[in-house]
Amino acid sequence: MDAVPLHNQPTVSDRPKVALYVTCLVDVVRPRIGFAAISLLEQAGCDVSVPQSQTCCGQPAFNSGDDDHARALARNVIRAFDSFDHVVVPSGSCAGMIHKYPELFRNDPVWLHRAEALAARTYELLSYLVDIRHFMPKDVTLHASATYHDSCSGLRQLGVMEQPRKMLAAIEGLSITPLPGHDVCCGFGGTFCVKYPAISNAIVDEKARDIENTKADLLLGGDLGCLLNMAGKLHRRGAATRVFHTAEILSGFGSGPAIGEED
Amino acid sequence: MTTASSAARSSAQASDPFSIPFDERIKEALDNKTLKIAIDRTTNNARDKRAAAVAAWPGFAEARTLGKSIKQHVIDHLDHYLVEFEANALRSGAKVHWASTSDEACAIVIDLCRKAGAKSVTRAKSMLGEEIGLPHALEDAGITRVETDLAEHIVQLAHDRPSHIIWPALHRTREEVAELFRANHHKPQNSDDIESMVASAREELRGRFLAADVGISGANFLIADSGAICTVTNEGNAELTTTIPRVHIVTAGIEKLVPSLSHAMVLLRLLVRSATGADLTQYTTFHCGPKRRGDRDGPEEFHIVLVDNGRTKMRNEGLADMLRCLRCGACMNHCVVFRQIGGHAYGGAYPGPMGSVMTPIFNGLEKSHDLPQACTLNGSCQEVCPVDIPLPTLLRGWREKSWREGLEPQIVRQSLGFWAFGARHPFLYHIGTRLAVRGMRLFAKGGWIRSLPLASGWTRHRDFPKPAPRTFMEEWNQQQRLKAKG
Amino acid sequence: MSARELILSALRQGNTATAAGEPNDAGAIAAAADALIADLSLGRPRLGEGSLPMLFERQITSPKVAASLDKAASLADVPRAVDIYLTTHGLAREIALQPEPALTAMDWSGYHLHEEVKSDTIVAVGKALWGIAETGTLVFHSGPHSPTLFDFFPLHHLVVIEASRILGYLEDYVAASMGQPVPRNVNFVTGASGTTDIEGTLVRGAHGPRFLHVILVEDS
Repeated sequence: MDAVPLHNQPTVSDRPKVALYVTCLVDVVRPRIGFAAISLLEQAGCDVSVPQSQTCCGQPAFNSGDDDHARALARNVIRAFDSFDHVVVPSGSCAGMIHKYPELFRNDPVWLHRAEALAARTYELLSYLVDIRHFMPKDVTLHASATYHDSCSGLRQLGVMEQPRKMLAAIEGLSITPLPGHDVCCGFGGTFCVKYPAISNAIVDEKARDIENTKADLLLGGDLGCLLNMAGKLHRRGAATRVFHTAEILSGFGSGPAIGEED
Repeated sequence: MTTASSAARSSAQASDPFSIPFDERIKEALDNKTLKIAIDRTTNNARDKRAAAVAAWPGFAEARTLGKSIKQHVIDHLDHYLVEFEANALRSGAKVHWASTSDEACAIVIDLCRKAGAKSVTRAKSMLGEEIGLPHALEDAGITRVETDLAEHIVQLAHDRPSHIIWPALHRTREEVAELFRANHHKPQNSDDIESMVASAREELRGRFLAADVGISGANFLIADSGAICTVTNEGNAELTTTIPRVHIVTAGIEKLVPSLSHAMVLLRLLVRSATGADLTQYTTFHCGPKRRGDRDGPEEFHIVLVDNGRTKMRNEGLADMLRCLRCGACMNHCVVFRQIGGHAYGGAYPGPMGSVMTPIFNGLEKSHDLPQACTLNGSCQEVCPVDIPLPTLLRGWREKSWREGLEPQIVRQSLGFWAFGARHPFLYHIGTRLAVRGMRLFAKGGWIRSLPLASGWTRHRDFPKPAPRTFMEEWNQQQRLKAKG
Repeated sequence: MSARELILSALRQGNTATAAGEPNDAGAIAAAADALIADLSLGRPRLGEGSLPMLFERQITSPKVAASLDKAASLADVPRAVDIYLTTHGLAREIALQPEPALTAMDWSGYHLHEEVKSDTIVAVGKALWGIAETGTLVFHSGPHSPTLFDFFPLHHLVVIEASRILGYLEDYVAASMGQPVPRNVNFVTGASGTTDIEGTLVRGAHGPRFLHVILVEDS
């Protein structure tokens, strides 16, 4: 894969030093997504590292209004990822959280500067591959029909919409069936789904019905939190839809087990 | 008709809905199967029509930015525009009254009604009227109140509270409305198609329009450079309310100002398309002062009550963005939470995202701290807002205040504190995640966990996939070690 | 302190906190407000191709506004156009006629005329001051010759509008009325009365007219 010179980034070489921000859910529930991300980034000409001191981005605290804890966790992330050209995250909501760090440090000039610098270098995986690395998957085949859900943070905060579709179109044998309400929240909302389980359930139940109605074999998306919510509901409803993170399909991991399938 | 005891437990009819815990209000809404049907029928229609209107308007984004700038300009210079408006309104022969609180505003209106010797007043739907509790105040004063907006008429017959700011009776299916009209109208509809029902309401209310002593309306805009007020309706009930009685009283929030008629036009386009998808409502009327010499109709007295009720506080304490709101209702039509629970569960006069931002101002955060929490922060409300109000940011602002004031449950505070402690110590954190993965796998059957201690909020409604045997970090580190060994 | 003083002083306190350093005199504020709308075309929906009367006709008869429209060659032909409408709809030749000199001067022989509009008036004939092509809107100014209730009481509202009175955009109305005294009521009528209050379904004839019929006078 050819690396493309980056504008306004004179310090970044043709082979950027990229740090993978794994995210808590990928780390604990589905490591395959992390490995898929690394494989894609390497194919796209990146030198990938995984900083060991990374933990949570602080989103649960931030969204609960607990700014003190959110700041503490943000400092940890900022320190862990200080020395890389780019930070890439296989989740729109965690990448989006890092983009909100400056808000947390608006009254702290020193950390504000570091937070802004990190935000400027942080990307969601699928948009990074297309927008920055101009990457397209080559020689990946998967005979299946899939439908696509756009997770809200990626879609509205980071503008992730066309990029995954563009890359999926390059997968041989894969057909995409549009999902009615593809841009409507699935009801996950982080801590929302456990704080207000009844409302969250009503929302995801409607979403699951829409997914089932597409009759697609696969449900794809770019954010594991939302995917777990929808996969868990689909399974509880007895649907046969198999759920993958888009990165898994793009990296050729689509022949492996879907979410909830034994290895 | 509803008995007092059942009314006290229904969030649609309770005089203080906040006396019912939020969880119970949610349950009541979700258990009501016709409610979801009713919500879908109206909001799906509204979303489709708005989408078509926006798609047919290439300049929408530009207009939205302009609308936002106009409202922001007014909010920034609100004192200037209030004074200008007042001077011009007085010149037109209107009387201008000022009210700091909802009680003051109601007292002014009641006093004007009494001075007019009013037995019966007609009202054209006004969200500000709902906000300040005017319907109750009129009833307490022994004045017959006639709601003339069709939806408000339905709400009045059912003894409900409105559940949407554009479609107050959105929670009622056509079948329920037919039942209400049959029980209450002098000449009920012969058949239960919507057209016949509307005709029956028209007939029922015509006489009431003619008999009213005072008409009360709100205002969508206050035009500073002329002292005129603007009302926007589709039914024509506002004009029948304001033209026939001897006295017209306008109650309006102080944020409704615009510099001039030209500025109002920009906002009208945004308001109507966002609300109903039309280019303009059927009736857009600019009212400027009382009846003039030679006029054959029109009110002899024209009063404008300018209401603060927390708006100066919002402006000065971080919620100035909210004062741009045009009350179009698009945010609630697109809100996944509103579309499941409807308007009554919110408890305040305004439901949905904009209501969750404003209700803590009107009813206090302690009573309403659940509202800003019950949101997935998905951002679609801001996306469809015609004046780009950062609703998710404002909602999170309330969460931050709630947290500081200790209004969130101990269990949430403790769990987050525990999590944050771990996450600040990467070594401990990675040990913890390894243990968690192994522990969770014990509960799995096949690839799934159907029930998990401490996570019933999740597993009550959905399954959780069995985690991989080892965390990503374990796996990655082992691979790196193997690589290093060669 | 009065509520007025309380509100204004709270706002002024907020001003110093939020907009420090910005010019705050009336002239500067007015200039800033004017600057916002200096380019009237900014973000405005586009009018299609064609003359203003053509565009007006297209918009007012579109499903969105759903009025009916007929044309008359001159003002003198209006009573005949009204007769065609009444005959088509099986209505008696009994109308409330807006006391507008241009209307009352017409030859209404054969009609039973009322000078006042009543709550049970079936047909009223009025004359709009302006038409707006952008939205398909008829504009009325209240006054001795134009009682407001003419637009709201009747079941059938027939409105005469001269082609020369058709404007393009909403802002063109503002420009056309600039410098004139503001009437008590400016009524923008964009279609017959309607409601979507029961399940979002549009039904005509809620409280105002159920039918809006426009007679476009081509030469005046």
